[in-house]
Amino acid sequence: MGSPCELLTDTDDKSSAEQLLDIVSAEAWRVEDKFSRYLPGNITAQINTSNGATVEVDDETGDLLDFAETLHQLSDGLFDITSGILGKLWHFDGSDKIPDGDDVKSVLKHVGWTRLDWSRPRLTLFPGMQIDLGGLGKEYAVDRAGNLVAAQTEAGCLVNYGGDLVATGRPKDAAGWRVGIEEPDDRSALAGQVIRLVRGGLATSGDARRFLKKGGIRYGHILNPTTGWPIEGSPRSVTVAADTCTQAGMLATLAMLKGAAAEDFLDQQEVRHWCLR
Amino acid sequence: MREKKGKSIAATLATATCSLLGNTVSEPVQAQEEPGWDFNTALLFYDEADDRVQDISLNFLAVRTFDDDRSLSLGLTIDTLTGPTPTGAIPFDSAQTFTRASGLSTYTTAAEQIPLDDTFLDDRFAISASWQQPLGRLFTINAGLTGSSEYDYTHIGANVSLSRDFNKRNTTASIGLAIAQDDMDTEGGAPIPLSEMLEVGNLTNKMGDQSKDVFDVVLGVTQVINRNFLVKLNYSFSDSSGYLNDPYKFLSVVDPLTGDPVAVLPGPGPGPSHLNRYENRPDSRTKHSLYGQAKYYMNGKVLDASYRFMTDDWGIDSHTVDLHYRWPIGDTSYLEPHFRFYTQSEADFYRVSLLDDGLPLPSYASADYRLGEFDAITVGLKYGWTLASGNEMSARLEFYSQDGDAPRNQLIGNQLSRDPYPDLEAIIAQFSFRFGH
Repeated sequence: MGSPCELLTDTDDKSSAEQLLDIVSAEAWRVEDKFSRYLPGNITAQINTSNGATVEVDDETGDLLDFAETLHQLSDGLFDITSGILGKLWHFDGSDKIPDGDDVKSVLKHVGWTRLDWSRPRLTLFPGMQIDLGGLGKEYAVDRAGNLVAAQTEAGCLVNYGGDLVATGRPKDAAGWRVGIEEPDDRSALAGQVIRLVRGGLATSGDARRFLKKGGIRYGHILNPTTGWPIEGSPRSVTVAADTCTQAGMLATLAMLKGAAAEDFLDQQEVRHWCLR
Repeated sequence: MREKKGKSIAATLATATCSLLGNTVSEPVQAQEEPGWDFNTALLFYDEADDRVQDISLNFLAVRTFDDDRSLSLGLTIDTLTGPTPTGAIPFDSAQTFTRASGLSTYTTAAEQIPLDDTFLDDRFAISASWQQPLGRLFTINAGLTGSSEYDYTHIGANVSLSRDFNKRNTTASIGLAIAQDDMDTEGGAPIPLSEMLEVGNLTNKMGDQSKDVFDVVLGVTQVINRNFLVKLNYSFSDSSGYLNDPYKFLSVVDPLTGDPVAVLPGPGPGPSHLNRYENRPDSRTKHSLYGQAKYYMNGKVLDASYRFMTDDWGIDSHTVDLHYRWPIGDTSYLEPHFRFYTQSEADFYRVSLLDDGLPLPSYASADYRLGEFDAITVGLKYGWTLASGNEMSARLEFYSQDGDAPRNQLIGNQLSRDPYPDLEAIIAQFSFRFGH
């Protein structure tokens, strides 16, 4: 998941807590092993090395691809799981290393959901294209873990994978889980807002430390897959509360993709949100 | 849910998520901003040089936030003021005796000293309460009450303000109204304007209790220029009416040639050694001010610069420039130098003294140094740090220097060699602690 993963629960029973932890960690590793684009031999690797050949995928992968297709439509093409290869050009390390415009154009030829053929269960990518489920995989894993613990125990639990989280109920003696929104420039400091989460998902998009700066212009790390360049005017971070972590995470990402209109978008969707600019 | 076009993305996403996760029923999210108390406490110590006024002030502000951005603020301030303050009378080369405002005793100022009233001793309690809440999506309303009480002075006030966000919340316009009524219950009664200071026990120059009304309007615009830059512009109008005199201030009555205070014949009991008359100000005052502020954020550093121009119908124009620069030190602390410059012209009726020339008295006259022409500079440094608990502390030390001149064309005879304007230097130290719950 590329971040610390934790499960918080409130129980006096050590063995049931350990059992929950085993279930959750097994599921986290399963999702990671199956979909991480950094691991060889899994379904993602199989698709990304298919070199134009059609790959037949299992149900779970098919569900994720269907979901990615929906998001592509909802975002007018801005949410695109084939855009990951743009990341090879952009290294958001705070430097001024802006990629060459021609390089961006040539990589863009291999980007675009509309360039692949998805007719469940068969997926065909053009040679050179790749998919990356990283933009939704962590939220998906959080909700999977949340569903598993909810089926296992009545006790309120909080699943937290690097700041994307879901709660299945309150701790025994508290009104809710207290979740602080951190200052994106300084992970050790709270931005002041503490959210009391009883049930549902909370996810944050944005990492103010990942940027490039050249000629006085700051380039945030959210890329527009239709241009290959970073989206301008996004908030430093967007936190959304929704029924599930997946919905919260996708709404936060969609808001980031709206750039300066992020808050308007979230207001319109009538979801609870906290934007830092 | 699809019929609601604006929400269709969230609704479609909810359906897609249900089929992805296989959730048949997904329970609605329960998340809210943690309601809680935020406390801000400060202890302020103000000390004027030459053993003049000292003020120890304890400030306490509690803010309770509720769901949906509603909040309640409660404030309490307790002040203890001690020390003498200039009366308006001029220094002289022999001792001068004055009757206290109460009319019950006298005090004496040594030769060449600026006369100070040493009875200045007061405790002040001030409370405030305000409620803020959004009205719809773009409006915020704030309404509050204020009150304060001290030995001889009572204040009550009410205020309300409304703000609206525009332009993707980058612009906020606001209007605020405030009304207040202040009642003065001077010991022995407020002096009759321009009346002579009388001997101890003679209260025939006293009136009953007095009051004034104050009405304020503030119009403001705050504009976010970009993520690093914010500007604010305010216009404010203030109208005071009623008793606007300071019942403790008076003027020396002087010989029109020598400029020396005129001696009075000693009576059988204690009383003033020289002729003095209580001040009189117009019974209304209208102020207009323009205020501009710019805040610029640079990688954690913050430059906060502001300028205020004020003009009133008493003839006072003032300019204030205020600069703060916040300089982070590490992740959890900062240094903040502060510089402020203030300058004002004198009120039309500011007088160093009144002349004993047999001519009618002016309608209005005051020798209050705060109505004279002066410049003031404040320089200070604040150090703030955040504790591991997230609570914040800060310590501030400032130096204030006020430097004024009596108008040359008003100085007569011997007054030219005695500086009648009481300059002022003060040290301000503040320690504050902010904690949440």
